[in-house]
Amino acid sequence: MAKKRERLEVIKDILSAIRSTRNIKPTRLLYASNLSPQMFKEYINELMDKGFIKIDINEEDKKTFSLTKKGNEFLEEYRIIERFIGNFGL
Amino acid sequence: MHLYDLLLNNREPLKILFTIIIGFACFMIVLRTDKLFRLSYHQGIRYFRNAFFFYGLAFILRYLFGIFSNSLMKFVFEFFLIMAGFSLFYSLIWKKFEIPGKESYSSLINWRIFLFYILSIILVILDYIWETYCFMFGSQIVLFAYASIISYINYNKNKGKEFTGLYFIVMLLNFIVWAANFVVAKFLEWYRPIVIGVYAIDIIIFILLLYTVLSLTKGKN
Repeated sequence: MAKKRERLEVIKDILSAIRSTRNIKPTRLLYASNLSPQMFKEYINELMDKGFIKIDINEEDKKTFSLTKKGNEFLEEYRIIERFIGNFGL
Repeated sequence: MHLYDLLLNNREPLKILFTIIIGFACFMIVLRTDKLFRLSYHQGIRYFRNAFFFYGLAFILRYLFGIFSNSLMKFVFEFFLIMAGFSLFYSLIWKKFEIPGKESYSSLINWRIFLFYILSIILVILDYIWETYCFMFGSQIVLFAYASIISYINYNKNKGKEFTGLYFIVMLLNFIVWAANFVVAKFLEWYRPIVIGVYAIDIIIFILLLYTVLSLTKGKN
């Protein structure tokens, strides 16, 4: 059985998916995140509240997600954060 | 015995040096961990950071207040030291009490931390009434015994990670320091050579922790 992803790992996966596609539509991001719609909504709300991602509306009035500066920084520092938590057992 | 005499004759400069070393170590740890917390919002990092914020305050205020009033210094020093112990311990067990992602707005003003404040004040008052340090020592001995066990379990679970063993050693050293403090205060009437040894181990603990934090947070992988 696959190991349950830690919260930070889920966040990293969502942000990586957004970064790799630059502007990603909500449905595509839901599939890429591998979460239930309910969980996906919770994570997206949290990431927007904390300023990691933002919603853009394009010319066709469609919503897409993109990374903020803070979201990019999180991805850059993710390995360090993971190592820190793992080594101290936090 | 020469070294002992040298240390004893230079008590005041050594007190300042001790405060500077520990204050600097705490400041650097708070700075590095605060940056990680602001990116990850991880509660374990948050309580770990708070622990060193309290340790730093305890040692710096002990020195500053010690100049004016010994009883005020004792009260403030004990309070922040006990709070630091609680925060460090809680950083290891927070997942049992909180849901990741549903954190409190403030880590210094919330009902869980409020319990720690109350407990710390009770312990300080008990020590004040009985004119002892034993309630503080007792609480920290229990906390660090438990923290050592948790760190040992973490070490066994994550043997590939480079610093889990070191953190277990730091927790064990903390336990030894608090136990030595208790013995020297209760049975040896603050026998100075042992007290100096305890101070030396304190410095080693903070330098080891600073080294670990700096190593883990340096550069990008």
